[in-house]
Formats: sequence, structure tokens, C-alpha cells
Amino acid sequence: MSNVLLEIQNLRTYFHMHGYTVRAVDGVDLQVMEGENVGIVGESGCGKSQTAMSIMRLVPDPPGEIIDGDILLRGKSLLKLKEEEMRKVRGNDISMIFQEPMTSLNPVFTVGYQISEGLMLHRDMSKNEAIKESIRLLKMVGISDPEERVKEYPFQLSGGLRQRVMIAMAMACEPAVMIADEPTTALDVSIQAQILRLMRDLQQKKNTATMFITHDLAVIASFTQRVMVMYAGVVVEMASVNDIFKKPLHPYTHGLLTSIPVLGDSKYRDDGSRRLLYTIPGTLPDPKRIIKGCRFTSRCPKVMKKCYEAEPELVFTEKDHKVRCYLYSDTVRETPAYLDVPVRGLSKKQKKQAKKDKIRG
Amino acid sequence: MGNQLLAVRNLKKYFPVKAGPFSGKSLILKAVDGVNMDIMKGETIGLVGESGCGKTTVGRCMLRLYEPDEGRIFIDPEKHTKAINIVEEFDAKRFALEDKIHSIEREIAGPKVLRKEIRSLLKQVHELKLKARQAGRRTDILSMGRDDMSKARKRLQMVFQDPWASLNPMMLVKDIIGEGPKEFGTHKGAALDKWVNELLDKVGLPRAASNRYPHEFSGGQRQRIGIARALSLTPSIIVCDEPVSALDVSIQAQVINLLIELQDDLDLTYIFIAHDLSVVQYVSDRISVMYLGKMVENANAKQLYKNPRHPYTISLMSSVPVADPEHKSEEIILEGDVPSPVSPPPGCTFHPRCRYAIDICRKEIPVLEKDKDGHVIACHNPPND
Repeated sequence: MSNVLLEIQNLRTYFHMHGYTVRAVDGVDLQVMEGENVGIVGESGCGKSQTAMSIMRLVPDPPGEIIDGDILLRGKSLLKLKEEEMRKVRGNDISMIFQEPMTSLNPVFTVGYQISEGLMLHRDMSKNEAIKESIRLLKMVGISDPEERVKEYPFQLSGGLRQRVMIAMAMACEPAVMIADEPTTALDVSIQAQILRLMRDLQQKKNTATMFITHDLAVIASFTQRVMVMYAGVVVEMASVNDIFKKPLHPYTHGLLTSIPVLGDSKYRDDGSRRLLYTIPGTLPDPKRIIKGCRFTSRCPKVMKKCYEAEPELVFTEKDHKVRCYLYSDTVRETPAYLDVPVRGLSKKQKKQAKKDKIRG
Repeated sequence: MGNQLLAVRNLKKYFPVKAGPFSGKSLILKAVDGVNMDIMKGETIGLVGESGCGKTTVGRCMLRLYEPDEGRIFIDPEKHTKAINIVEEFDAKRFALEDKIHSIEREIAGPKVLRKEIRSLLKQVHELKLKARQAGRRTDILSMGRDDMSKARKRLQMVFQDPWASLNPMMLVKDIIGEGPKEFGTHKGAALDKWVNELLDKVGLPRAASNRYPHEFSGGQRQRIGIARALSLTPSIIVCDEPVSALDVSIQAQVINLLIELQDDLDLTYIFIAHDLSVVQYVSDRISVMYLGKMVENANAKQLYKNPRHPYTISLMSSVPVADPEHKSEEIILEGDVPSPVSPPPGCTFHPRCRYAIDICRKEIPVLEKDKDGHVIACHNPPND
């Protein structure tokens, strides 16, 4: 639990397009401990998927390029590996569950072949052994009559089953790190719950570290221990899952948390009048533009003059709680003062404190 | 609220599907199988269910984007009670005849006399169909002729799921929004431009947007264009088919708020189709839960959240993840997938995944029953009873 397994240092992945550069990932630092579940949250285009692709070295080059930083697996740099050596890492040490189970399986090979491919390559199994192992893996991910399923093609399976196959593939060589890029986004809630439960069980059994990439905060809450919130290529907040949900610091995190309706919410207040959802105004900044100050300025409700001048640093406000915002540059406070909309799940005491802060502020 | 806008009766839509890639045989996929709904003025009806349960098909049938195989959709039913009674009478007769034909077909497969009998019965069925269509041509959307239908179209509009696919990339935004009014002749020339600008204001887009193409906009903005287009004919009912599921979290809230504000301003009625339970729960007054083409539960939003009664709804609710790391959910996870709608299980279609299934569930199809609070479920053995 305590050893650093995967370390990302100041990763910058840029895409050189015609006439401009998109800074998809712009200085991300992250440490993943052994057996830990880390969540990466953010909207589409914030760089979370590109971070994952960079770790796997799957960024298309050109136009993409990792221009700075390093990725260390057990202290060994992945970026310095030759392509053949990297192939030994992919699927063996680090594996990935891709976003769309519909498109990321190869339609012309059987499910069994696709799972055994990795086994034959990394674990020197014969074809028969690999198929046998595939059947065991399919059983492990809860697919009924796996002996029949290994012979089937992806189109014969439903979305939930395909995602299970993807998980079986990812787990095949018992990797140290598993990267799950929106593994449940395309699925229905009931299937999502099945898949999440399965991943949780496997993760605990094998003690695999997981990076869970999603835009769904609720999924993060039930699955991870630590959360990294990304916005426009940078990390804006990083904290334990409890801290993120109970006392989010960055205005963006706060906005994300309060803008989703929670089951049981209604557009009516108790007295029958209308209630609107809290929204983050505007949209993500144009990736072509280089923003001088904080990247969230155009949408931030608490924007100050100095926000436009220079980008704030990612600073610790407490042990294990990092935030990139000037609101916290001088003082470390219990709860943020800008809690206009009470965040769900605050304890009574915290709510009182928030109210006090608001009056004071 | 109060007066009823739409009454959907026994709506059925079957799709023929091929049995296999090289098979000539065709099977029938029952996408919607006997759905009834009453829609009141000013309310939002949520339609939820897993993918493939037929919720989108219901929405599309309402606008006759699909031609349903069976059923009636009465618009303004309170004004046309007489016609509706006549239509329903004809339909009842026709169903009786169709049952008779089925029973004859089941018994025999051959003698010429009987075939003749069937033929004459079929003729009667056809006549009854025509009569019912004639009687319902003013109020039943599905039997309307061209003129009545175009009047009805003005009142029924739709917002589509995918804002990338539902806007014509070759058309300017003002043409997209103004196409309806132009076609129906409600606004012309300078008045049309003014109206488009007004609509853009309403959905919170800059007026300059009217001379740009859809690809210049982000997902949330495109969805706003889609909403403006739906509003352009001042409809009373808008079918929103997954209007926010393709959008990012922060944009989702903006669009939901816009829809709610527009509803208050323009006195709109929504049919809100989505698979995201918490969103549906938030915007809806009443919610219908669908499973494999059938409605299994129907209740007002609060009731459904506090006291879901159908086992399917209960497990659906419990599997919605909660944004609270300390939340200890007692997940009642459904095992397996939705069965294929081509060959649904006999009896209650939910029984293979239901933990409360008893013998009768495997044999008989449950019917929707209302309890004293107006909470409707179709279940033989509802839990906590």
C-alpha cells in the first residue's frame, strides 16, 4: 500500500496541429501507490484520456508528442523504453480498459483469441493453455458458459458482456496497474453496477492499482480512494475521496459536485416553487488559445484580479489536499468561504461553519 | 395543469428483424408492446428504462416518425370524447374479430372452407379499421390525414439526443431554426428573421449565431439550437429524447435549467426520455418506467423515489451511484442483461431477473394496476406487501 508504483512527473502532451498547438496535458503530476484506486475526473477535452494514453505510450505521433516530463513504473522510466520493450509492458504491467466496448474489440477475431493473444505473448503459453486460461478468466468476470463464449465474436455479445471481456483481457496477465478509461459510460445503470462491483472484487482480490477515468463523480465516490480533478490540461485539485466530496476547494470541483441532480432531487422546492440547478456558466476554453492566468477564469464565480495575471500553483492546503487556486494561497481554512450553495453531505457542523464563513466573507 | 393534452392507448410498434445474417426468415421485435399514457397540460412526464426498452420508440411514434402497428394517440381528448368513444368501439369489435381469427388459425391449418371464413373475417377487420380511422381523423394522430396532421405537427415537436447528428451541417443556423415557420408560413421575410432572433434570445445564444453553421458550436450550444428549432412553431408538447445525455456534466445542468425555464415561460408540456434516473427524477412530475416494450410502473416522481414498488424499479434505483463516498448502498444488482425483445420470456418479461418471481410470473403477463395513491405497477408479487 505504501510503495509508489507509478509516478507521473510534470507530464506534457501536446498536439501539433496545422498552425497551432493543443496543450492536451500541460504539466500533470501523479503518484499511484500499490493497490490504490485513483480517480481522474474532468469534462471531455480536459486531458484525462490523453494522460492515460501517454502512460501507455499510445499517443499518436504525429500530431501528438510528449514534450516534457517522465513516467516511472517502479522507478523505471517508460518514456525511455524502446518500442519492443514497451510492448512487454503493455498488457503485462499496465493494461487498459477502453471507453467503448463496442469499438475497441476487434470484430474479426473471436473473444477467446483476443484474450489469449496477451497470454501467449507475455506468459509464453501455448495456444491451448491460453484458451483454457481465457475460459477461466471469462468465468472470473462472471460470464455464464464461458466454454461457448470464447468461440464467439464481439458482435454476438451485448454491451455489458463486451465490457466484461475487456476486463478479462485487461486482467489476463495480472497487471500491476489497470487504467480504466470511462469503462461504464456507455452502459445502463444496472449493467454499470454489475461492472463496478466486478472491478471492485477483482481489484481487491489481486491488489491491482487502478486509475479510474470518468466524468461521473458518483462512480468515483463509490470506487476510488484518491481523486484528481483536471481542467483544460492541468490538475486543479487533488485530495482523498472524502475531502473532494465533503470539502471541495476549487470552484470548479465545487461546481461539478453541485450541478448534478442527485436521485431524489426535484425541480420543486418544498413550498412548490421552482428550483434550478447550480451551473458552471460558459464552456471549456478553446484549446488553441494560450491562457495567461488561471484557466478557469472565464467560468469562475470567484475570479479575482490576480487570476488573470499568472497561473496559480498547485499548492497544499492541508495534508494530502492540493488545489490550484489563489483563494487558498494565503490561508488554509476549514471550509471554503464561497459556499453559496451548500454541498450535499456536509455535516451539520461544517454547514454551520460554512454559513459563518459566508457571513464573514 | 388539469386538462389533458394527449391520450396514448395500446400503442404497439413491431420491427421486422432478420433471424440471422444469411437467413431469409424474419422475426418480430416488439419494441413497444401496448403502452398507455395520459399526458396533462404543463406537466413533465419522464420515461426511463434500460437501452432497448422502447422508450425512444414511444417518443418517435408520438410524432409519427415511426408508424405504429397498433394503437391510438388522441390529441385534446377532452374535446373529442364522442369521436374517441366511436373509435374505441370499433377497435373493440376489431380486437374481438382478430382474436377469433387467431383461435381459428391455431386450431387448423388447411381446409379451404375455413380459409374462406378467415378471409371474410379479415375483410371485416379491414372495414372496421377504415371506419375507426374515419371517426378518429380529427383527434387520433395516427389516423389523421395530411391537413390535420400538419396542424398537429405544429403542436408536437422533438428535441433529439445527439446534437452532432441532428443538425444539418450544410444549413445556416437561421435556416435550421426558420425552416419550420417558413414551411408552415407562420413567419415570412423580415418577420422570420426577427422571430429567429427572438428564439435565439430565448435559448441563450447570441443573435450573431444565426449566420453561422452548426459545426462552429459546442455540444451544449448545438443542443440549444435544437431546442430553438423545436420551439419555432410554438408547440405545446415537446418530446425530449435524451436531450442531455451526450453533454458534459457542467453543460448538462445549463440545458436542464433552460428546459425548465422555458417550460415555465411558454407553458410547455414535456415528455422527457432519458436513461439517467437522477436527471429524470429531477425534471419530471410523473415517471413511467419501461421494461422490454411494456410499462411496468407509473407514479409521480416523489412517490417513485420514496416508494418504488416494482422490483425492477427498486433495483434500478439502488444501482444509481451516489456522489457520497460514505454512502453505504444496499445495491440490489440485477443479474444478467435485458433479454432479447425478439423472444421475450413468457409471462412477466422481468421474471428471469426478478428475485421475487413466483410461479404465476412465469405464466401470466401481469397487468397494470392502480393502488389508492394513483401508483400504478404491473407485478404479480410486489415486495413489501
